[in-house]
Amino acid sequence: MLTANHIHELYRYRDLILRLAWSDFKLRYKSSALGFFWSLLEPLLMLVVLYVVFSNLMRIQVEHYQLFLLLGIILWNFLDRGTSMSIWGIIGKPSLVQKVYFPRDILVISTCITALMMTALEFVVFIIFMVIFRVMPGWTVTYFPILFIFEFLIILGLSMTLSALNVYFRDVQFIWRFVVQVGFFATPILYPITIFPENVRWIVMLNPMAQIITMMRDCTLYGIPPDLLNLAYAAICALALLLLGYAIFDRLEPKFAEAI
Amino acid sequence: MAVKVEHLWKTFQIPHEQRTTLFENLVGLMKPKQYETFTVLKDVSFEVEEGECVGIIGDNGSGKSTLLKIIANILRPSRGTVKVEGKITPFLELGVGFQPDLTVRENIGVYGTVMGLSRKEITDRADEVIDFAGLRKFEDTKLKNLSSGMQVRLAFSTAVQTDPDVLLVDEVLAVGDMEFQQKCFQVFEKYRKKGVTILFVSHDLGAVRRLCDKTLLLRNGERIDFGDTNRIIDKYIYKLEDNAKEDAPAAEKETGWGNKLIEISSLKFIDKCGKENDNFISGDPFIARIFFQAHERIESPVFGIIFYYQETYCYGTTTKFKGCDTGMIEGSGHVDLHLDSLPLLQGRFEVTVAIASSDYKTNYDWHDRLYSFNVHNPTEDLGIIAMDGIWMLQKDA
Repeated sequence: MLTANHIHELYRYRDLILRLAWSDFKLRYKSSALGFFWSLLEPLLMLVVLYVVFSNLMRIQVEHYQLFLLLGIILWNFLDRGTSMSIWGIIGKPSLVQKVYFPRDILVISTCITALMMTALEFVVFIIFMVIFRVMPGWTVTYFPILFIFEFLIILGLSMTLSALNVYFRDVQFIWRFVVQVGFFATPILYPITIFPENVRWIVMLNPMAQIITMMRDCTLYGIPPDLLNLAYAAICALALLLLGYAIFDRLEPKFAEAI
Repeated sequence: MAVKVEHLWKTFQIPHEQRTTLFENLVGLMKPKQYETFTVLKDVSFEVEEGECVGIIGDNGSGKSTLLKIIANILRPSRGTVKVEGKITPFLELGVGFQPDLTVRENIGVYGTVMGLSRKEITDRADEVIDFAGLRKFEDTKLKNLSSGMQVRLAFSTAVQTDPDVLLVDEVLAVGDMEFQQKCFQVFEKYRKKGVTILFVSHDLGAVRRLCDKTLLLRNGERIDFGDTNRIIDKYIYKLEDNAKEDAPAAEKETGWGNKLIEISSLKFIDKCGKENDNFISGDPFIARIFFQAHERIESPVFGIIFYYQETYCYGTTTKFKGCDTGMIEGSGHVDLHLDSLPLLQGRFEVTVAIASSDYKTNYDWHDRLYSFNVHNPTEDLGIIAMDGIWMLQKDA
C-alpha cells in the first residue's frame, strides 16, 4: 500500500528509480541520428496540422490559438506517453521482475519519470513559442507546478492499474489505445470548452484531464487563476486514481513473477 | 538467525488453457477454469545462522531454485513463512537489466544500481570494475558489441561490488570457463570470510563440498535432510534412505552383437554400501557386476570390460588378462570386477562389456557403451582420473 513506510522505502530506492528512468530516456534517443529532436518534431508537426485544420477550416476563435493548442497537445501527450509506456513497465522487463527483487512499483514510477523527461523537452519548445508570440505569463503561472503534479499523479495512478492488468490480460494495451484516442477528442484540447452548450459542459468537465488542461491554459496563457473548487476536484481525482492504482497493483503484484 | 524458513509450501497452478487476454477471460467465464496444480515445495523448514554457508542440492525439479526465489521475495509462498535478516542480494542471473545499447560504463551504473549499490559507490568503483573485468579498452563501447564472455565478466565484476548480509547464488558458476569459476570461488570465499551468509544452489557437488558448512537436500520439493555437508552429499549420491531401488531397464538400445551362446543379461554397478548405484565418489570402493545367462555349456569364456570417457578409451581389461579362469559355465550367474578405490576423478563414464571365447575367435555377446555411471570429485583436483600422490619438498641446505 501507499503508506508512509512505503514512500520512505521508495525514497531509499531513489537512485534506482532515477537510474532506470534516465537510462530508458537515453535509450530512446540513442540510436537515431537526430537524437531527441525527433521527439520535438512529433508534437510540432501535429501542431502544424491541427492548427491549419482547426483555425482555418473550422474557424475556431481563440486567443493565442497556437499556444492554446500546443499546450493541450503536450499535456495530453504526457498522459498518452506515460500510460502507454508504463503498460509495458512490468511485462517488458521480465529479468528485473524474475531475477531480482525491489518494490515493483519502482518499474512503473521510473517509466512515468522517463515520460516526464520527454515532456520536459517539449516544454522547452513551448517556452520558445511563448517568447516568439510574446505572451508573458502572469503571477497565476505559479499554479502550473501544482496542476502538473496532479497530472503526474493521475498518470501514475493509471499506469499502476494498466501495467498490473496487462500482466494478466494482454489485450489491455489495445483497449487502452482506444480509450486514449477517444479521450483526445473528448477532452478540450483542440477546442475550448465553450463550444459546448452551457448545460452539457459539466459532463465534459467531469473528466479530470479536461479540468487540468483547462486550468493550466488559463493560468499560463490568460492569467486566470483556477477556481478552487475545480482545483480540489482535480486533486481528489488524482488521489483517488493513485490509490485505486496502488490497490489493484498490490493485489496483483505477488504473482507477477509467475505470470510474465 | 539470518534466514529462517518455516513450513514453506509452494504450489503453482498451470491452467489447461492459458487465458492471457481480457477477451479470453470473458469468453471463459462460461466454463470453469481447469488447473493442473504442481506442488514444488512441501513443508520445507530450516534455519541458517549468520555467517553460515549453506548448500542446497537435489535433482532437477526438486525445488531448489523456487526456494531461492521465495527467499529473495521474487515469488511468494503459498503457505508458511520466510524470515530474512539484513540485506539480500540474489545472484540468480548475471547481468540483470543490462542494456545492449548502452556503453560498458553506463551499464555498470544501471546494473550496479539494480544490485543495490549507491551512486557514490558506483562512481568510486567503476574504474575498479572495468579493470577487474579487463575491459579498459572498451569502456565506451556499446555492450552489444562485446563478446558474451566479456559481458559475463563485466556483470560478475559489477555484482561482486555489493556488500550483502545474505547472498543467494544459483548456478552462477555454471557459466564461464575454469578460470572464471576459480575467480568466482575466490570471491565467495572472501564473502564468507567477511561473515556474509551464503545460500548456494548447485549441481557441482565438488563446489558445494568446498564452500558449504551445511547442506540442505531436497527431493521432489521435500526436505530430505539438512546438516553437515559431507554427510548430506553422501546421502544424495548413495541415496541412502532409498529402500526400493527403481529397476530401470538398462536401455532399449541395440543390445549388441554376438552369437548369444552366452548372453549378458545386465551390468550393474555396486557401491560401497552394497547397493546398485550409478553415482560414485572418486576413491570409494566400486564393483562392476556382469550378469550372464549361458544357453550351453561353455568352457572358459572371457569376460571383458572397457571404460570410456567421451571418446577416450580409458581402460579395458578381461578376465583372461587378469589371469582369472572362468572354467566351465552353464546357466546363469555373475562376474564381478572389484576395485578397492575407484581411480576415476570426475565425469560420466560409459562402459562396454563383452563375452568371448577363450581364444577370442568367437564373440558370444557384446554390449557396446550401453551402461554408464557418474563419478563425483570430493577433492579440488582437476581432470578425469585420480592419481593418489603426495607432494614432498626437499630443500637443499
